Parts: sequence; structure tokens; C-alpha cells
Amino acid sequence: MTAAIALGIAAKKFAVEVDPRELAAMEVLPGVNCGACGFPGCAGYAKALVAGKIEPNLCPPGGAELVTKLARILGVEAVVMARQTAVVLCQGDNRKAQLRFRYLGLEDCNAAQRIAGGSKACPGGCIGLASCLRACPFDAIEITADGLAVINRERCTGCRKCVAVCPRNVIRMTPYESSIHVMCNSHDKGAAVRKYCQVGCIGCHICNKTVPDAYKVEDFLATVVYERDAEAVEAIVKCPTRCIRDFNEGYPEGSTFLPLKNDKSDAA
Amino acid sequence: MKLRTFKGGIHPPDNKQWTSHKAIEDCPLPDELVVPLSQHIGAPSVVCVEVGQHVAKGQEVGSAKGFVSVPVHASTSGEVVAIESRPHPFGASLPAVVIKPDGEDSWSYNLQFTDPGSLTSDEVIEKVRQAGVVGMGGAAFPAHVKMSPPPEKPIRTLLFNGVECEPYLTSDHRMMLEESERVLQGIALLQYVYGAERVVIGVEANKPDAIALLKEQCAGASIEILPLEVKYPQGAEKQLIVAATGREVPSGGLPMDVGAAVHNVSTAAAVTDAVMLGRPLIERVCTVTGPAIKEPKNLRVRIGMPLSHLVEVCGGLVEEPGKIILGGPMMGFTQVGFDTPVIRGSSGLLLLREEDVAKSPEGPCIRCARCVQACPMNLLPTTIAAYARRDLVAETEEYCAMDCIECGSCSYVCPARIPLVQSIRYGKAALLAKKRNALL
Amino acid sequence: MSDLLVILVSAIFVNNFVLARFLGICPFLGVSKKVETALGMGMAVTFVMTVATVVTWFVQYFILIPFGIEYLQTIAFILVIASLVQLVEMVIQKVSPVLYQSLGIFLPLITTNCAVLGLAVLNIQKDYTFLEGIVFAIGAALGFTLALVLFAGLRERLELCTVPQSFRGTAIALVTAGLLSLAFMGFAGLVKG
Repeated sequence: MTAAIALGIAAKKFAVEVDPRELAAMEVLPGVNCGACGFPGCAGYAKALVAGKIEPNLCPPGGAELVTKLARILGVEAVVMARQTAVVLCQGDNRKAQLRFRYLGLEDCNAAQRIAGGSKACPGGCIGLASCLRACPFDAIEITADGLAVINRERCTGCRKCVAVCPRNVIRMTPYESSIHVMCNSHDKGAAVRKYCQVGCIGCHICNKTVPDAYKVEDFLATVVYERDAEAVEAIVKCPTRCIRDFNEGYPEGSTFLPLKNDKSDAA
Repeated sequence: MKLRTFKGGIHPPDNKQWTSHKAIEDCPLPDELVVPLSQHIGAPSVVCVEVGQHVAKGQEVGSAKGFVSVPVHASTSGEVVAIESRPHPFGASLPAVVIKPDGEDSWSYNLQFTDPGSLTSDEVIEKVRQAGVVGMGGAAFPAHVKMSPPPEKPIRTLLFNGVECEPYLTSDHRMMLEESERVLQGIALLQYVYGAERVVIGVEANKPDAIALLKEQCAGASIEILPLEVKYPQGAEKQLIVAATGREVPSGGLPMDVGAAVHNVSTAAAVTDAVMLGRPLIERVCTVTGPAIKEPKNLRVRIGMPLSHLVEVCGGLVEEPGKIILGGPMMGFTQVGFDTPVIRGSSGLLLLREEDVAKSPEGPCIRCARCVQACPMNLLPTTIAAYARRDLVAETEEYCAMDCIECGSCSYVCPARIPLVQSIRYGKAALLAKKRNALL
Repeated sequence: MSDLLVILVSAIFVNNFVLARFLGICPFLGVSKKVETALGMGMAVTFVMTVATVVTWFVQYFILIPFGIEYLQTIAFILVIASLVQLVEMVIQKVSPVLYQSLGIFLPLITTNCAVLGLAVLNIQKDYTFLEGIVFAIGAALGFTLALVLFAGLRERLELCTVPQSFRGTAIALVTAGLLSLAFMGFAGLVKG
């Protein structure tokens, strides 16, 4: 009895105000603490949400569902950001792209990049030593047997950890709805690219000439204009080095991932 | 008599028998010289000539930028055919002045003999700076900066590094044997500037002929010739200071903190040329050696000579090399090909065959502590490397990663073939980046 | 005096609460990832154990025995300890939010922690006087802190090791704890009984 009374008094005296909305937000947040929202972990985001005018749509792993839930908790309107997914813009694995030298050292892309710029002859290509794989908290990345990183579009939540760790900046955030990409990251002239990679973009402008609105070529490298993604499909067969890929048809050679239409395993 | 030494270190086979008995040979001029603007620690030089301009031997082609920087000079007379990015020994492509020799090899001005007695200390330092003298042991730190310590840190012990602990290299050894006069004159000049109480030349005991010759020539002068135990890396400056004076440079500190300064013997010779003859640093002795070269030699090369030319002069390759190293096997820079040039710090060109290159895969660390025993700086390489690889930057700083001199002793002894030096370097880079970001 | 010293040494080393008596394993494994948090936890436990001993001692000798309700010992003790820990939790949350965050769920775990209850009961069982009881409590808490800090240091080192896949995480931690217990058995015989 005495203890109960004592506790009651103490509870009032030492009370620390915790907003119940913050607790509710903590419950619905994914709890992965990936930091993509820009706050220190899910607890940090919850606190910020309740404290100020932070948008409830800053959590990519949570997706649209989370935004709706958070909006309800906070009593604000939900604005859903378009889903984004990361893509490794390179198909130059060890069989298709040349190496300048044999690298015998730490199996890490950032470490390899520091040794004379990495062993790949192409300055923008994927090094393939799995730094992105280790950084991904969602197991969405694999390295093919020939040393190329590939990201699973369905599993990717857009947290951007792989983008941050890649020393070559070959991983880009792209809209999930756009499945066609020019798989090259080299701004070298066509002749140079041809020498060191069989599937690199040589800046020949053929894609651009076939569908002018869907492709833009800058500094000898073509990129898809993602708003016009639907028209871009025409130029895929015209590309002389076959460096444009439609991920709805399949992932790069050597990858074990299946495009959504063929994927019967992942019931997500 | 027990020889002085430091704690730790390793004993790799010295492999100096290929070239230690061979006199220095002059290397003929190639068709093209590529003089990089960045060959030294400090700011790269700023180009001060134009394409098409004719330059004389020793003419400045790049001026120094700031205090910790030196000018670079044309290594022979000829025409500047290009100023562009060229492959650099450090791995990237960096700006360089490309000169086509005209065969005349004529100096830029009449070289005057200057009596060093008529110069003040500051004038000596200025001449050294103008000549672009940098550390010839490999580090290429501007000598004039080293010669200007702040007044609150007087230099009491002046040390000269004739140790040459790197396996295969013999250029300093031959310098001491064949050009001892130039070396000793340079030592005298440096002593004039520093005014130290004690002058010591450290030489490893595997060079008895050099020790004997120097002792003979220094008899009467107050220069000590100190024979040292044969151990790598005795030639590293902090280890040389420990062996010669018993004092340890504090963590994060410099030799001047314990009243010492260390210069390479070849640097001393370069100082002689700079001060007494007015000649800039445009040539050096480079040991071309290794099992993959037909005729190993000690060559006197000009700065900017392409490595392909050196290989040709030494009779060509025995077979396709497994590794090309500019410098020694422990701390030298591996090259991607032969199209990089010799720079001021290039003490050797080592060509190894495929079978000489270690390719074993990495195993797990079993905490055998061989690396801890070998480390000459009393660090824990295994712990620093483990933290560096897990990107735990604060912990690498706790374990004094910045004190690592990257000598390679730990990687050499590791039975699991873990790339310790690469991991520690990676950690140091991350630490420096973090510090830079903190300042922003 | 030497009696008290014997009690102290016995509680810290010979009959260490965690490693010899196997009480309080939950926070031992849960809070021992970093040495700083382990130290913080140790200090919280010291406070709780000492105060708990004092209060339970009074409860036993001034409430339970006089009223003849020794059979209510377990319930009464748990009540006291539970309220005490709630108090400590509130104080820590106010005073040091950082420590509160890092200890997280383990603060209330001191409540259901058999170590504190075990200490209270043992005190009564061994018929210690008030002073002896306090010394015993301090010794037990120090021993707990010692075991925790040692284990935290070991786990920090384990972070750097290449552990075989099947042993990673809790498995290797438990194996290490067992080895640490074995080591502490070396103190047996230091103190009689």
C-alpha cells in the first residue's frame, strides 16, 4: 500500500512529458534506422515529426502505406512521393569490360578505387567488389559471378545507402515506374569506350535520332528522359552496343533476379 | 660489438647483390622527357613556360607555389612540345611538361662556382629552394622547409641517412662509395645551416666498404660514422633517430620535436650542387634491378625519363613482368605500365617476375601478434586494420593510426596475408576526410 | 573487520553473483556490448542493490517477523524492489536521458532480475547483521559490475574477430561467458565457504 502511494507521488514528481503521438509514430515506422529520412534513426524521425513541420513522406522504406498512417496520426494531409529505385548503370562485368591491371588487395570498392583509380579500364564502370551489397540493409543487391552489381527493383526501398557508398557514382536513383535505362556511366569518347568495353555507350546518337524526346546525349553519354519512358522502348534494338536495357524484360546477364512478370517466388 | 638499432622491424632478404658492386652508369637521353609538375610533398608547381618554347638544361619550367613547394626544371635542353596530363607514378594522370631533347644538353646559364663561406645561412637555404632540392630517399619533402625549423625547436643532432634499408636498392650505397666528396661537402653545408652539436651518418652494417671509406674521409672532422644493425626499416627517419640518439619522436610529432633533423646522403650531394655550382636537381641515381630485367644497373637518370627507356638501356626484359615497382619492394609504388616518368624521389625501378608476386588469398586473423612485434612504431596493426575495415574511424584514431609510417613490415610478416598496410591507409584516409569535414 | 573483508571478497570474486551463482544473466548478456553502457548499468545496479538490502532488511526484521508473516517474504521483497527500480528509472530519465536511452529496456529488467531478489533473500538466509548485509550488497554489486565490464571488454574485442557463421552473435557470447566463469572458478578456495 505504502509502496503504491509512494510510487504514485514519485510518478507525478518525476514525470517526463512524452507525446503519445510520438509513441504511435514509433510503432508504425519500419524500425530499420537506415537514416534515409535524414534523422538519427526512426526515433529521431518520430520526434521531429511530432515537434515540427516535417513532412510525413520522408521515409522511403515505409512507402505510401506509411505516409497515410503517419498522416492520420499527426492529423495532416498525406502527400505521397513517387517511389524511387536504385539502378547500377553499368553492364561491364569482367567478361565484357577490360581491366588495366590485376588488383590483389582489400575486397572493397572504395579501397580499390584508391589504387590508381581502380583496376577497371573504364573510369565510370562498376568495380564489383560488393561495397554496395554490404551497405544495403534490405538485401536488395547481388554481385554476379562475373563481378557486376545488380539491384533488385522490387526489394529496393530507395534508402540511398548504396548511392552514398559507391566510389564510382554508378548507382542512380530512378523512378520506379521507368524500367528502361542506358546502362553506362562513362563520358569517354566512343573510340575509347569501344576499346575497353563491349557494352558501353559510345555516344553515337542513334537512340536520340530514333526517339528524340526520350533520350538526351551529353558528353558522349546517353540517358533516358524518364518522363518519356514509354517511347524509349523503340530505340533499344537500334543501339549498336546493346547498352539500353528494359528491366521489365530481364536483369543484366548473370543476375539471378527475375523481372516482376516472371517472378513467382516473391509473393511480396 | 653490438650495433645500435630500434625495437621491432623485419629482416627481408636484401637482394642487393644484383647491383651493389656495379658503378654508376650514365643513362643516354631518350626521345621525350615528361617532367611532372607534382613530384614532391606540398603544392604542385605552376607551369611557367609555353608550348613551342625552347628551354635550356636547368631552366625553371614550373615555379613553386607557396612555401611548402619547389620549382621544377627542364632536365635537358630542348623544345616544350606539350603541357598536358600524363600518367604519373602515383596512379592518376597529372599535368606535366613534355620536352623533346635537342641533343645539345646545354645548361641555362654559365654555372658559377660559389664559395659557400661567403653565403649566409638564409642564402644557402634560398639556393637549395631554387634548385628544387627535395628528399631523395623517396619521400620528396622540400629540403628548404626542413632546413627552416622554427627558432623554438633548435636542431641538436643532424643525422644523415646512408642506411638504404629497402631490399634491392643500392643507389645511396654507390653514391657514398663513388661521390663521397659531394656528399661530405653537402653535409658540411647543412651543418653550417643547422649548427647542430652532433653530426652522424648512419650506415647499415651490410655496407662495410662504405663505412670504411667514410670513416677514412671523416677522420679528423667531427662527423660520426655510425654502423647500424641490418634491419628494415632502419632507414625510416624516426627509427634512425631512435637508433642514433635513443630519443623517440612523440606521437603525431616531427623529428624537430626531439631536436633532430634527418637528410638522405643523396640529398646532401644535391645540396652541394645547388649551393656551390648553382645546379638544380635534374638527375639522380636510380637502381634498375630485379629478376625480370636483363642487366641490372645503377643508372644516373634525368628527371622525366620514361621507365620504358630505362628498361631498354638495361638490356630489356627477361620476361613479361609480374609487377613493376618504382622504388623499393616494401614502400615503392606499383606502376600500371612503363609509360610513367622517373621523378625526383624515384630511388629504384624493380621488375619482378610473375612467380615473385605473392598471390595467396587472405585468411582470418588469428591474433598471432607477429605484426605487433614487427611494427617499428609500436602500434597494433591488426587492431587498426580491423577497425578501419569496419569503418569505425574514431577507434582507429584511438589506436594512433596516424602514427603509422606505412613501412609494410606488418603486411610482410602476416601469415594470413592480410593486406594490413592497405587497410590502415584506408583508415587514415577516412580519418583525414572526417577531420576535413569537421573543419568545414 | 576481517569478517567484513571476507564477505566483500567472497561476494566480488569467489561467489560472483553472475559468474558463480548465475544470477542476473539477462542484463549481463543484454547490456554488455559496450564498456560505457556496462559501467552505467553496473552503477544503477549498485544503487538498487544497496538500497534494496537496507529496505528489505528493515521489512524483514520490523514487519514480517514481528507480525509472524515470514511466508509473505517473497511477495513483500518483490514489491519493494519493483517500486525501487521504478523510482530509479524515473530519476535516470530526468537526470541523464542519454543513459536512459542506452540502457533502454534493461532498467525495468533489474526489477525482475533474480540477482537483486536473490541478494535480498540470501542476506536473510545467511543471518547477516545490518552492516554485514550492506557490505554483502556492495560486494555483490561490485562483482556484478566487474563481470559486466569484463564481459563488455571481451565483446568489444569479439566485434573485430572473424567468427564462424554458426557461432555469430549470441552463441559466441555465451561461449565466452562460460569461459569467463571457468576463469573465475580459479578464485575458489580463496575464502573458506
